[in-house]
Amino acid sequence: AAVRSRAEVDATLQTAKLNPAELLPAVQCLSFSPRAGGGECCLLQLEPGLCAELEAGRSLIIRGEKDEHAVLCSKDKTYDMKIADTSNMLLFVPGCKTPEELNADPASCNIIHSQIAGFSKNYWELRRCRPKLKKLRKLLMEDPYEGPDSQKDQTSTFSKYTTEDLLNLIQASEEEILHHLQVIDACQIEGYWRILHFDYEMKLLNHVTQLIDSESWPLSKVPLGVCLEELGSLEPREMIEHILLSYGRKYVDDGEVFFEMREDKICRAIAQMLLQNAVKFNLAEFEEVWQQSVPEGMTTRLDQLQGLALVDKSSRPETIFLLKVEDLPEDNQERFNSLFGIRQKWTEVDITPYIQDLCAEKQTVGALLTKYARSSTLNGIKVYNSRRPIS
Amino acid sequence: SAGTGALAQWVLVELQGEVEPRQSGDLAGSLLGDLHYTCEGIPVLIVGHHILYGKVVQLEKPFAVLVKQGGAPQPSPTEPHGHYTVTALIKTKLLFKTRPKPIITHVPKKV
Repeated sequence: AAVRSRAEVDATLQTAKLNPAELLPAVQCLSFSPRAGGGECCLLQLEPGLCAELEAGRSLIIRGEKDEHAVLCSKDKTYDMKIADTSNMLLFVPGCKTPEELNADPASCNIIHSQIAGFSKNYWELRRCRPKLKKLRKLLMEDPYEGPDSQKDQTSTFSKYTTEDLLNLIQASEEEILHHLQVIDACQIEGYWRILHFDYEMKLLNHVTQLIDSESWPLSKVPLGVCLEELGSLEPREMIEHILLSYGRKYVDDGEVFFEMREDKICRAIAQMLLQNAVKFNLAEFEEVWQQSVPEGMTTRLDQLQGLALVDKSSRPETIFLLKVEDLPEDNQERFNSLFGIRQKWTEVDITPYIQDLCAEKQTVGALLTKYARSSTLNGIKVYNSRRPIS
Repeated sequence: SAGTGALAQWVLVELQGEVEPRQSGDLAGSLLGDLHYTCEGIPVLIVGHHILYGKVVQLEKPFAVLVKQGGAPQPSPTEPHGHYTVTALIKTKLLFKTRPKPIITHVPKKV
């Protein structure tokens, strides 16, 4: 196709009865590039901050297997992607000049030929979402680490996952994934991320608490060095250090590494160990055994068990049973269905630990309850139940 | 992921309705029209027999232009699986919303 000339442009202006004196001197003749409309280009609407990230040279990654809805991940955030249709035609033009740019360059010639690289009637919209991390725990739980003596690892046919593997499989940003690995106390063994089998974890913890007891160390000052010396013959040094990191807070004092043991977390783990052996327990009996089972100097409290166990105050005698929030569905509606299936009416205090993790940025538990539950009053106390009948 | 080097800045041109090729066939390779600006900076687009007046809009939410790697056409427009490169950013659009004014080239003579 012949390239449009200035003379042709001027003739068109005349026919259109436009006064060239009222226009900037430069015209941009737009034509479709030979490859426009090939569907190779698409538009992504950027949320605040993402534009700056791209300009700084950072990447955005789209993640999702064929059966998952795709998400977009920046370095530290995750976004749901949705197609937005517009009734208008969107043309993308490289090198198209704005009036300011034309005015800033007075020497520019009076005719510019620009090609339209592509066009679309829709674009991708982003909405910040919670990273989809439940799958991370599920993958690592396929093959929990049972210790070096376990025969399983040698003969195991289960997949093991490196950081790279997890980045490819989990719909979350790298920072969110690495943070969650820390939260679930995963560790790297021979380059693979592993979660410890609970029994092995308790075995390690027990070694440490027994040593603390026999050495009469204060719970706030447990020396790493001595632990490694004394326990190194029983378990791998990496595992001893890992259990201290999981259940203590590391600090350095006078050049030596110590741990301040986390009372709440230790009591909670021991409660789990006791509760997992039966469907439910007599609350009073449990509380007694629990207190006796924790290390000297530690005090058990029911609020240490939030998101781990639930007390049934309506049964006589009162009972307690294991209910782990991480075992419940990740999707909001499914989570509420599951909770209302377990118990018809919940107080806000009881349900909060089981829905807290569903809160989006700046969303409150109250907002979630308003959306997914119906409130009523029972014996003067506000309770929540399902909005719909549970089959 | 982003390509190496600084990202190009493109401009979005938004038109109401459809754009159809003058001759039959694809839009690819064909002329759209002449884009002028008035001295006040108002964009004026002459497309075929129409004059479109618009405005320059700074986008609150800029766009990224993604180019699919691998060349294969999109299997499903609702799921963006695959590898994409950010080719350019778009922070400005020329929005043509006003109804086009037709260019009358021939006035029938009174008989």
